[in-house]
Amino acid sequence: MSDAESGVTVDPQITAVAVVGSGVAGWSAAAALKRRISSLNVEVISSPPAPDSIVDRVISTLPSIVDFHADIGLTDADTIVRAQSALRAGTIFEGWADGLADYVHAYGNYGVPIDGTPFHQQWLRARAVAKVQPFDRFSPAAELGRSGRFAAQGTAIVGAMPTIGYGLQLTMERYQQLMRAYALHLGVAERGGEIAAVPLRPSDGFIDRLELTDGTRVTAELYVDCTGPQANIRSKLGGEFIDWSGWLPCDRLIFATAQPRQDAQLLDGVSSTAFGWQWAASSPAASCHGVAYSSAHASRDEAIAALPSAAAEISIRQGRWAQPWLRNCVAVGDAAVTVEPLEWANLHLVHSQIDRLVSMMCGRDCAAVELGEYNRQSNAEADRIRDFVCAHYVTARRDEPFWAEASRIEPPESLAHTLLLFAERGRLPYYEEETFSRDSWLAVLLGQGFTPRRTDPLADIVPIEDVTRSIANYREAIKSFVDSQPVYHQVFSSLGQHA
Amino acid sequence: MIEDSRLKVVIVGGGTAGWMTAAALAKLLPSRCRVHLVESEAIGIVGVGEATLPHIRGFNEKLGINEADFMARTRATFKLGIEFRDWARPGDSYIHPFGTFGSGQGDIDFHHYWNRARQEGQKVPPIGDFSMAVTMAYMNRFARPSADPAAIESTFNYAYQFDATLYAPYLRRIAEQLGTVRTEGRIVDVELDGESGNVRAVRLESGERIEGDLFVDCSGFVSLIIGKTLGESFEDWSKWLVCDRAVAMPCRTTTALTPYTGVIAMPAGWRWRIPLQHRTGNGYVYSSAFTTDEAARAALIEAVGGEPIAEPRVLKFKAGRRKRSWVGNCIAVGLASGFLEPLESTSIYLIQAAITGLVELFPEREISHADRDEFNRLIDAEYDWIRDFLILHYHATERSDTPFWDYVRTMSVPDSLKEKMELFRRRGRVVKHREGLFLDASWVAVYIGQGVLPESHDQRVDMLPQSVLLQNMESLRAAIRSKAERMPDHRTHIEHYCPMPKAA
Repeated sequence: MSDAESGVTVDPQITAVAVVGSGVAGWSAAAALKRRISSLNVEVISSPPAPDSIVDRVISTLPSIVDFHADIGLTDADTIVRAQSALRAGTIFEGWADGLADYVHAYGNYGVPIDGTPFHQQWLRARAVAKVQPFDRFSPAAELGRSGRFAAQGTAIVGAMPTIGYGLQLTMERYQQLMRAYALHLGVAERGGEIAAVPLRPSDGFIDRLELTDGTRVTAELYVDCTGPQANIRSKLGGEFIDWSGWLPCDRLIFATAQPRQDAQLLDGVSSTAFGWQWAASSPAASCHGVAYSSAHASRDEAIAALPSAAAEISIRQGRWAQPWLRNCVAVGDAAVTVEPLEWANLHLVHSQIDRLVSMMCGRDCAAVELGEYNRQSNAEADRIRDFVCAHYVTARRDEPFWAEASRIEPPESLAHTLLLFAERGRLPYYEEETFSRDSWLAVLLGQGFTPRRTDPLADIVPIEDVTRSIANYREAIKSFVDSQPVYHQVFSSLGQHA
Repeated sequence: MIEDSRLKVVIVGGGTAGWMTAAALAKLLPSRCRVHLVESEAIGIVGVGEATLPHIRGFNEKLGINEADFMARTRATFKLGIEFRDWARPGDSYIHPFGTFGSGQGDIDFHHYWNRARQEGQKVPPIGDFSMAVTMAYMNRFARPSADPAAIESTFNYAYQFDATLYAPYLRRIAEQLGTVRTEGRIVDVELDGESGNVRAVRLESGERIEGDLFVDCSGFVSLIIGKTLGESFEDWSKWLVCDRAVAMPCRTTTALTPYTGVIAMPAGWRWRIPLQHRTGNGYVYSSAFTTDEAARAALIEAVGGEPIAEPRVLKFKAGRRKRSWVGNCIAVGLASGFLEPLESTSIYLIQAAITGLVELFPEREISHADRDEFNRLIDAEYDWIRDFLILHYHATERSDTPFWDYVRTMSVPDSLKEKMELFRRRGRVVKHREGLFLDASWVAVYIGQGVLPESHDQRVDMLPQSVLLQNMESLRAAIRSKAERMPDHRTHIEHYCPMPKAA
């Protein structure tokens, strides 16, 4: 009201965006911006991906990648067949809690509500009176993953449709090429070159231009920093970086590759080690292995002992910028949030930040109030991913010094709140911008033997005999459902032949 | 027989809050609690005719209540939203609907399209023309929302307007059938445990002493336990929400039976108009700093159409909430925990939120801090969010015609609200809030309805050529209109579905 009268000119729309970085994050951002806001001129400054880029090395992704592709107009034929990706149904976690069996975190329902009450509450009640199977045995998606069978959605189990989400295992080089080719096809411009300087406007601290080593100057109204953990552009504007190392003890990642497996697997594996954890995942082109460890607890040689071959090692500093978007520069992916790949949220963060950028695109003023809301949502999202990853450490049970220290970590406030309520009565509080569903939290917490002290009184409304019967029925139904589905690597090899 | 391990819950006060709590506990937690309600008929209840929010349907459903039966017995009508009149300027009006604007499809909120057309200098119809709920409301139509998310008739929701003095007895019958014990009598003393400070018992005028494990304070404004006895401090919001009185006076319904509540700005506050089957509830909420009781009463009588059927009654209150709503073994529900004027029909919603919290966090005999703190966190968040939304109604105005409106227009508002308004004004963005009350469309309705108009819009809507945009908007408007035209008249619908019992 009063602002409008004071003759302030309307903040004009942004027309020119420069994306710096030519890894997956950079090309994905460029393609999505161009496709979804077609009035933008998007230019990519394609310096090669940073050697410490996590997003460009981790091949496992969450199911949200499929939605991202659909939103920008890419099909399964592009992203799976041509880019040589495989499907993944989840992760099998081994050795995280001494004495307990492995558990599967898949992307689907764990059980179904019993007379309107949450399944996990009834599972806890049943377990107190009888022997029941581990929690993940009640997830159709997890069971499909374990048995290596594939099901498209659409068959009901005991009257309820199971949810089954698939992420992708990428063949990274092919995927980068696909994103680049697609962005260029959409009309994104590419300029090769290295950044030499990022001069700021003295008047307001905005980026004035990018100067490349060959003397070229690039100007835009918004600069998207996809340069990886070093945040080469965003860091020039200063501001606080919030360090998470007190909560996430690993500071080194080692990546290795080997021959692809003949029998395609739907689950990747994540096992704990004496000083961190290691993974094994496989795409049609290679099997990929890696180690995350704490350099305070192990040497490089100790860390790579279990790997088939040793390749790149990178140091990581986990944390995020307090303001990923500051003035006319927004950091995306590793440049905004650096987090270890446990639970594979790295590329998901890229996609989610791009979606948010598209739907909250500001004007050329880059008004603090608009950026503030973007940052609030982005930070809430990053912090909950941090919480989820941290939960694996603080609820793990192993004896080595690394794990003893991990068990003494004082969790971030929001995670402490989550664990407190869960420990009390199996309640999971609601948080805005949560990436992982309630079922995901349950899969991990119950999978690691983090059990509530008591159950929710509301669950008592169902007689215990009905509960044990329902649970047994559902388990039986999952079993016959899973057994009737085709074997994944057979389906998949016939799919691959079309490529 | 083994000893009853259930907690004994004593509910103090039998108004809407008391009986809602009793019915919910008795129905949902029969194995965990026994419910004993103490009320005094001499005290009476505040219930002045209530307009509700759609959430109440979920509450009734959980209790297994048959909708038609409930509506008939409480003389209820359907409610699609609230019409605000004279808020931004005298002569203005808009409806805050239970529902969204536009077709409900696509990524981009409809108001960005509407704003673009407006910003480009096009003459656009009011945004309410693009809301199913608003269109139905103004045409006095009602039908149930469609379950098909692709249908435009799925873009609205509904609540009820009913006689609150009949809702409490309706719930009482249910609660008593489920075993709730009721004692009639006035409480004269609250007995505390010297060591823990917990409430041990209440003592009645008759001398009877009623012990309990858990006490639910539904005593209304008196706030008998949490306020008077336990002394929990009150967070006072009256510098932003200055209204502190209401005068209520029902009258016979003579005008159309509107499927919406009326909220009309007045010189020192606002007045409500709630059409029920048998009468219309009226009241004037005002600030005693800006008018007198006599003047308010006279203004109400003059403004109300229809013959009064009761003497005007004055209520006094203060906006704000208890610092904590759960202290020791006492949980305050309803007015005992706080007060927000009924501008957006939130009174019963807040009762319901407290009951949901209590049921979900129902304690053991040894009450854990985790449960108590979580309850207080949830309730505080509800109050704080609603607070900002209410303040917006007063602050976003051009009115300076009375000292009251001049004050609220120029007062300083909480920073949290200032940011929300600034964000909307720039580009029509609404602060994201996914859980709880008043989602995006509600804020959009009030912002635009009260003249907080964005200077710009989401740039994705520019991809459409202007002529196509205008054409699409016009066909959407026509589609909504033609759907509404085929729906039954509100009164006819009620007469078929849930007519109140004929006077015996």
